[in-house]
Amino acid sequence: MGRARFTGMVAALVGTMAVSAAAHHSFSAEYDANKPLKLTGKVIEMRWSNPHAWIYINVTGKDGKVVKWAWETGGANALYRRGWRKEDLAAGTVLIIDGYQARNGSTTANATSITFQDGRRLFAGSSNPNAPK
Amino acid sequence: MFLRAAARVAACLILAFVAGACSRSQPASTLPRTADGKPNLQGVWQVRNNAAFGLEDHVARHEMPAGRSVVEGRTIPYLPDAAKQRLELVATAENDPLSKCYMPGVPRIMYMPFPFHIYQTRDHIALTFEWSQVHRTIHTNGVPGPEGIDFWMGDSRGRWEGDTLVVDVKDLNDKTWLDTTGTFHSDQIHVVERYTMTDPDTIQYEATIEDPKVFSRPWKISMPIYRHKDRERILEYQCQAELEEASGDFERDPRTWYPGPTAKPVEIPADWAAMAAPKSFDLPATSEPTPGRPGQAAPPEAAKPSGPPPPIRRMADGKPDFSGFYMADGGGGNYGLGKHEQDFLTPAGRGIIVDPADGVLPMQAWAQAEVKSRQLPERGYDDPTAHCFVAGVPRSMYVPSPLHILQPPGYLVILHERMSWRAVPLDGRAHLPDEVRLWQGDSVGTWDGDTLVVETTNLNGKTWLNEVGEIVSHAQRVIERFQPINGDRIHYQATVSDPLVYTRPWTIAFALNRQKEELLEVACHEDNQDLQHLKDVRDEARAKARTNSTR
Repeated sequence: MGRARFTGMVAALVGTMAVSAAAHHSFSAEYDANKPLKLTGKVIEMRWSNPHAWIYINVTGKDGKVVKWAWETGGANALYRRGWRKEDLAAGTVLIIDGYQARNGSTTANATSITFQDGRRLFAGSSNPNAPK
Repeated sequence: MFLRAAARVAACLILAFVAGACSRSQPASTLPRTADGKPNLQGVWQVRNNAAFGLEDHVARHEMPAGRSVVEGRTIPYLPDAAKQRLELVATAENDPLSKCYMPGVPRIMYMPFPFHIYQTRDHIALTFEWSQVHRTIHTNGVPGPEGIDFWMGDSRGRWEGDTLVVDVKDLNDKTWLDTTGTFHSDQIHVVERYTMTDPDTIQYEATIEDPKVFSRPWKISMPIYRHKDRERILEYQCQAELEEASGDFERDPRTWYPGPTAKPVEIPADWAAMAAPKSFDLPATSEPTPGRPGQAAPPEAAKPSGPPPPIRRMADGKPDFSGFYMADGGGGNYGLGKHEQDFLTPAGRGIIVDPADGVLPMQAWAQAEVKSRQLPERGYDDPTAHCFVAGVPRSMYVPSPLHILQPPGYLVILHERMSWRAVPLDGRAHLPDEVRLWQGDSVGTWDGDTLVVETTNLNGKTWLNEVGEIVSHAQRVIERFQPINGDRIHYQATVSDPLVYTRPWTIAFALNRQKEELLEVACHEDNQDLQHLKDVRDEARAKARTNSTR
């Protein structure tokens, strides 16, 4: 991925979250407000789909055990309209993801913010002073 | 004699080569034509063959009649490895992606045993299908399609070659079959369709299919598609909804669903008529799009300050021309029609109820209690849109995804990105009989000056107004008003009268803002993992309730 494309992609994602959280059904029913989460992991793949796209990451626990987590994000159409393409989020990319775990207790969560290791944010609110314009 | 016949055959062959118009009995001049002189394909159509079950010559199977090949040269030229793969796939019909109600793709949708309606304008030709409210748009305005994205139904760009509509279909995914016999393809598939009207009631349809990863050469199917002369509109077959209702995965709600043909029609109280009388309310004060407002989609082109707004566009007959792509400034109505704050993952809304003046839905007591119940986590599963079913009326107008309005002669047609459509005939026809109930209802429209007034009845009561469970029932009657503000904005309002749920009619109002972007495609239940999570939450709550009740 070229530098220019990458920067464009990050810029394109700023402000996406407010829209993508507002998707097609009640997240409040599906995810648990009492189970906030912050996990760091390596991207396995991004599933480019509607009504929501999914980012799968491997998270290594303190015991060395690797657990696969599924993070729900905005839909493919919203991502496409903001300049994202399927191949943009490469496997192996390290991400720090904030969000809420599913009520059913599975390793599934809804992403409210996604940050690269160097602090740049995907799905960041525009209140983030470091968010690229 | 023989020579003359031979000469005619030769002439025919040349003609066929040049214009694809040999054995056609009808002189081209008798075809119905649009204002710009193109053959007018508008109408209700369907094939009469059995190609849906097998494109090649095939024997009968359970609920699948035998049929003759529609393939030129009779067989599909699979590459050797692909032919083997097809044999492995074909073993059971359950492997057919269509058995999961996934969209059939192109060309398969064209020869399904369901009718479709073509609506024709100069710039866009819409095909709306009875099967699952799928639609296709053939863009004939020369605008290139999107790059780097694929769709179940592909991207269709058309052009007229004489009297033949030639459509380039690209960006199809690799998840569909061409019939029930394992006829898979790759994402390299490219389809070129040709629509040639041979008489006012017949379209000769051809599709040339190429896919270098799967077929040894391009190959062609051809078949006539016939006009339905005994139906002026198509109804509905919601594949996924019917599947889930039959399996018990989507449960009947006796308080809102249509009870059946023996039910007594619900009368709307006489004094409601005055309250629901057509009048235009002001848009809620904050509905002027503000670029960059938190929690809102990017502002549409129309919202950017760039001189005065364009004047109202008009059709040849002087009526407002609404055709174009729009995004509703729906104010979070999909998460509550009244004013509400953000709650956990549910976005805030500014409130779009303009009548009653207090901005609160005038619900009966039982309905207020039911809305509270629907907001419990275990009821999240009951929201029909969580199942990817269509949103109904008026919800489909304020879900946060774009819509496309077409205005062919005699109709206003609304295509929704979330794969549903609504056709509003403007010819003064009566509503369907009360016993016919539809997810998107039965809409008819009339002009009141520059305002298009649309009345929708025959709804099935299966939809929710939004994710927080605000209620409508099968008794719902909706009057919508589409009033042009300028060339880029429509003042939209909807008055709902539902005596089973409310104490009086109520009205919402917001703007539809023109945008340049075309619709993409939302194949909602292709990957709807959320539904299983919601089901888990419901099942757990039910198990707990059972345990408690047996204690």
